[in-house]
Amino acid sequence: MSGLTLEGIHKTYGDVVALRGLELTAAEGELLVVVGPSGCGKTTALRVVAGLERPDAGRVLIGERDVTRLAPAKRNASMVFQTYALFPHLTAGDNIGFGLRARRMKRAEVTLRVREAAALVRCEEVLDRHPYELSGGERQRVALARALARHPDVFLLDEPLSNLDAQLRVETRAEIESLHRRLGATMLYVTHDQVEALTMGDRVAVMRDGSVEQVGTPEEVYAAPVNRFVARFIGIPPLNILPVTHRGGRFLAGPFSFAMRGNDERLARRPLELGIRPEHLVISTAKGNAVATVALVEVAGPETFIHVDAAGHRLIVRAPGSMRPKLGSELLIGVRRANTLLFDAETGETLS
Amino acid sequence: MSSRRGLAVMLAPYLLGLAALIVVPAAITFGLAFTEYDLIRPADFTGLSNFAELAGDDVFLISLRNSLTFAAVAVPLRLLGALGLALLLHRRFRGVGAYRTSVYLPTVIPDMAYALLWLWIFNPLFGPLNLFLGLFGDFSPRWLTDPTAAQAAVIVMSLFQIGEGFLVAMATRQEIPGELYELASTEGARPWHVFRRVTLPMMAPTLLLLLFRDTIFSFQANFVPALIVTGGGPPPYATTYLPLFVYRNAFEYLRYGYAAAATLAMFVVTGVVVYLQWRIVRRWRRSFVV
Repeated sequence: MSGLTLEGIHKTYGDVVALRGLELTAAEGELLVVVGPSGCGKTTALRVVAGLERPDAGRVLIGERDVTRLAPAKRNASMVFQTYALFPHLTAGDNIGFGLRARRMKRAEVTLRVREAAALVRCEEVLDRHPYELSGGERQRVALARALARHPDVFLLDEPLSNLDAQLRVETRAEIESLHRRLGATMLYVTHDQVEALTMGDRVAVMRDGSVEQVGTPEEVYAAPVNRFVARFIGIPPLNILPVTHRGGRFLAGPFSFAMRGNDERLARRPLELGIRPEHLVISTAKGNAVATVALVEVAGPETFIHVDAAGHRLIVRAPGSMRPKLGSELLIGVRRANTLLFDAETGETLS
Repeated sequence: MSSRRGLAVMLAPYLLGLAALIVVPAAITFGLAFTEYDLIRPADFTGLSNFAELAGDDVFLISLRNSLTFAAVAVPLRLLGALGLALLLHRRFRGVGAYRTSVYLPTVIPDMAYALLWLWIFNPLFGPLNLFLGLFGDFSPRWLTDPTAAQAAVIVMSLFQIGEGFLVAMATRQEIPGELYELASTEGARPWHVFRRVTLPMMAPTLLLLLFRDTIFSFQANFVPALIVTGGGPPPYATTYLPLFVYRNAFEYLRYGYAAAATLAMFVVTGVVVYLQWRIVRRWRRSFVV
């Protein structure tokens, strides 16, 4: 096992810039989740590590080895594709052993390694079957086992759960996590699903437009996003954003107002925006709370997302599932200053 | 109009064509095979005597041998050519359209024009082929007058009309998901291993179809070249294949019954060859995939 480093990776396809100076490091044994919207370059980054794309500039290091110019085969990285990429004409066992056979390992040894890998992901009973005889979950396991069988230095997983149904996704998520813990393997895991990112990663890298916006533990990117993009991308439903003005020593943001303090005076010299997570909007009759009209109620089992209009702004409130306010009824909502995020309206940077 | 009647009306032109051009002639041929018929006198039922005569007819046996040899040499070469060109040209790159067109073009040239063109190419004195071969020393086969060279010439001609097989093979190759190749490369498979374990098995069903189809086709294909370019010769009947044998007997010697019997024999031979191929392929496939 070894760590993984991407240094200043640039990659363009014609006029389209896929990666611009991407910097990323996964420590040895770390599960680093790369998350971002479609087209942010996360899959390209993974393919650059695998050697399927050659970067225009920058270096890829696996451990201490510079692999930038090496063929995929010489990098000792295993990839799990979103579509699994199982060979339809080979049995599950032959699929798992494909890379070992390709490297001319003896049949007997291949059989052992295939069994060992299959046992790790609990798919021993399907080894004799062909992919078309397997369920989606079983195919996923076979694809994982194939990646494991070769004992690679790093695992590259490209949205491996996106073709599974919701329940299976949750189970498999937990299994990949526990697999990672048992093997202590370095894994680069790409997903567009922030829930996967927050629940699985040792650290999370949030990407946008070909570069990393923030890398940190799941807690860090949730509680202390470096900018408005990260703040909005992480969290369901997304962050509420209100424009901020100030008058008479108070910040005014939609229906809310806060006393200015500390270096707020200095911050207020530029245009500002206030971010409030839906879970931090509290419905209560506390003094100073603002009046909001219920515009839409989304029931999501244990929670209810209440869309309200307040002072001309649409806000989303995350409330317990027991709450079912009537449309058009009025609520009192409030938020603590400590639970808000202040952004530079122009650069999107988080201010504190 | 009910949907059944609609269906019947839509199918009618095809069914009529099928009946008029295939079913009826086939039935007549089958019947004629047991008669003596010369277009002038009424057909005379002779039982199996046509077949008995075929069995002892040296020209028929030579034709049969020629046809089998042609199939045995030309079909694998044609298939290899189609597969090789498909693997070369399935990717997109600058000018690939022109290459693909030039592979396909000889297939759509009318047979007659194609044959006349080759008649010129094979000319031993001023044909471009021997001029070209002359560059490499004193090697100028007498293409159309030497028996072996004439048989080779007919095979060479057939090797350029592989457009359909090429197209089907190329489409099949393009259908294989690129990720399988990407995976193979990250798994460290070398080109030969990738070809043997990924490309070939994934294309196998199509290649088998092409093999059977081309085999059937090869028993009928060489009629025009044999008639126009080599005239069935040079002696002794070096390029008289089954189709030409049938043609000569029917339309030159006016022995329709005998020609029909030879046609039937040709049909049976084709069936037997395809059946044998299928048997071999079945056994081979079992050991192949593992």
